Amino acid sequence: MTSVSSAAEPAPASAPLVGRHDVNRKRMARLGWVFSAPALIFVAAVTIFPIVYSVVMSLSNVTVTGNGFKLSGVTGSNYTLVLKNSTWHYALGFTIVYTLITVAVELVIGTLIALVLQRLTAGRGWMMALLLIPWSMITVINAELWLYVFNGIYGVMDAIFNAVGLGHPNFLGTNDPAIISLMIADIWKTTPFVAIIVLAGLVMLPGDIFEAAEVDGSSGWSTFWRITVPLLRPTLALAVMFRVLQAFGLFDLPYVMTGGGPGTATTSLAILGYDAMFKNLSFGPGAAVATTTALLVLLGCLISLRTFRVQVGKEDM
Amino acid sequence: MWSASPINTTGVDVRTVLIKDFEKEYPKIHVTLVSAPTDTDTNRATLATEISGGSSTPDVFMGDVIWPAQFGEHGLALPLSDYLPSSFFAQFAPGLVSGASYKGKVYGSPMFEDQGFLYYRKDLLAKEGMSVPTTWQQLEADSVKLVHAGLVKYGFVWEGDSYEGLTCDFMEYLTDAGGSVTNSSYTSASLNSPAANTALTFMRSLITSGASPSAVTTFQEPQAMTAFADGQAAFLRNWDYAWADSQTPSTSKVVGKVGVAPLPTFAGQSYPGYSNIGGWNLYINPHSKNIAADLDFIKFMASNEAQDVLSVQYSEIPTTTAVRDSSAVIAENPVLATVPKTRLIARPAGTPNYPALSTAIYTNINAALAGSTSVSSALSAAQSQATTALTSPAGGL
Repeated sequence: MTSVSSAAEPAPASAPLVGRHDVNRKRMARLGWVFSAPALIFVAAVTIFPIVYSVVMSLSNVTVTGNGFKLSGVTGSNYTLVLKNSTWHYALGFTIVYTLITVAVELVIGTLIALVLQRLTAGRGWMMALLLIPWSMITVINAELWLYVFNGIYGVMDAIFNAVGLGHPNFLGTNDPAIISLMIADIWKTTPFVAIIVLAGLVMLPGDIFEAAEVDGSSGWSTFWRITVPLLRPTLALAVMFRVLQAFGLFDLPYVMTGGGPGTATTSLAILGYDAMFKNLSFGPGAAVATTTALLVLLGCLISLRTFRVQVGKEDM
Repeated sequence: MWSASPINTTGVDVRTVLIKDFEKEYPKIHVTLVSAPTDTDTNRATLATEISGGSSTPDVFMGDVIWPAQFGEHGLALPLSDYLPSSFFAQFAPGLVSGASYKGKVYGSPMFEDQGFLYYRKDLLAKEGMSVPTTWQQLEADSVKLVHAGLVKYGFVWEGDSYEGLTCDFMEYLTDAGGSVTNSSYTSASLNSPAANTALTFMRSLITSGASPSAVTTFQEPQAMTAFADGQAAFLRNWDYAWADSQTPSTSKVVGKVGVAPLPTFAGQSYPGYSNIGGWNLYINPHSKNIAADLDFIKFMASNEAQDVLSVQYSEIPTTTAVRDSSAVIAENPVLATVPKTRLIARPAGTPNYPALSTAIYTNINAALAGSTSVSSALSAAQSQATTALTSPAGGL
């Protein structure tokens, strides 16, 4: 977490033991590398290697054989295929809009919940435990649960809508309701995550500033916008970044609830890549989809950090 | 290890019955069943991932009839014609073996065949004095009447979700209207035709007229089956297993009230309408370490004993002519008696890019059914995506 402390620590005063201190430090550092090497090698094997291989695949002609992949040539044709594909254009737009809306809604609701939790004295522990139940659910289970809720024949939503006279809307079979249903399922599950992070940021805020504001006669609303939010900026940026990363990789909700349908209405970038690779066995273009998605996510995170004008390690007031 | 998706959903699992019978005859071979997903696309994706990754399991897998071209092209299934004599393949009904072949080699051994049938509530038709509809238009009108009379909640339920099953249903309407998906050499698509327009307009009208619920665009086989077996629908288009399911007292509320008929066709065409060929073949994983045992398993499944179990006890359509033509089997249930009366149309699966071709069909048909695009724009999008699937090297994206 970024710290909000003021001015950098004063440089250590020169000491007669500086030479020995340095050597010791280097030895400790080397030892640290040796001990963490096995874990680092493992992490590299399971994360860096597949990523690099995927990028290489996206730049070659890939044929699937019974004995694995055959990569031949270096070509940009996979990327031109992707960039010209109309379904990809749609998936890109859909994923971006989905990310923006869900992250914005979760940020607002999560902050509200965190503010309430901060003021709770008795029972805060219980409330937090209850709130974390949706967050702790396995994502596929969550998707199956909401699939039942939104089912067009025997779902709870259908019964409620019918009872209040709104008929039988086909939630998962019509474009916009399907997208909204996915968003609801996502927001229900991940708002607690945002709430917990914001709460952690709130309790770390120094109390004397708020006392001073109260003494000066600042209203609750004004205190919130002029003091709380600017101080919370690093925390909010962190929450937004986590959520943008996750939301951009939207896969399990459309996979379970709509299969990417109706038509291609809920086909996110991840679904498109999965279909290309594992249904059509076109691994080259599929890898190109994956690589472009990764680059876009990086871009999205950089933009969101910029929006919050946060630089890690530097204070901001 | 045998990977197979569930064949029947009520009563004793036929897969375990078959395994038990096989192990009795071959006591030295032990078979472990791995239950595969019911969605055929998910099933294929799982198997393609496992096998191209070099896994030696599953040894034998039950796969869809539309997989030979893709699996053969990518070396994901063993060419059985290299291991079994042609006399083995001669025992199957005509057309099934060629459907399981690609570029001159046979990759699948037909296990049981599937076709689309029209299931109807004979008690409701009798109540309203209706006869079994022979045209789609008549079916639509009957459905609307039954729903308005309050006798049933939904008229006609079928598979309209955005998945492979929708391609099957669409093939039936398309062929009834006189259309086709591609030319015979798989070089050009013909989805933007007047026949396709007739077919899709009718399918959409089923929803707008109230004959089918709008939720049918989210139905796969289990959902349609449940709606019918719960007594909430008057007509059902489904595969042959639906007969056994609808007559199982523990889960069906319509035992004794169901009739089977060939599918209707459009007015002015000759009855009956076309049924799409489905069914499942047995394939061998090229990395399997037990090829001899796998071949024994496949030979057992084609034997009269196994085919009798599938047809007599579980109302699946047998693939060997010996069992298909036996009068004992035909007398066993109305589905098998209807088989000789039906006309069949296969899906255009002779190209390894079939999944992309099918995706072009079902995503756009589903969009039109959901009402989010017009019939004509859905068909022209389907046509251009199908053309990409047929002409570009890997089928496009």
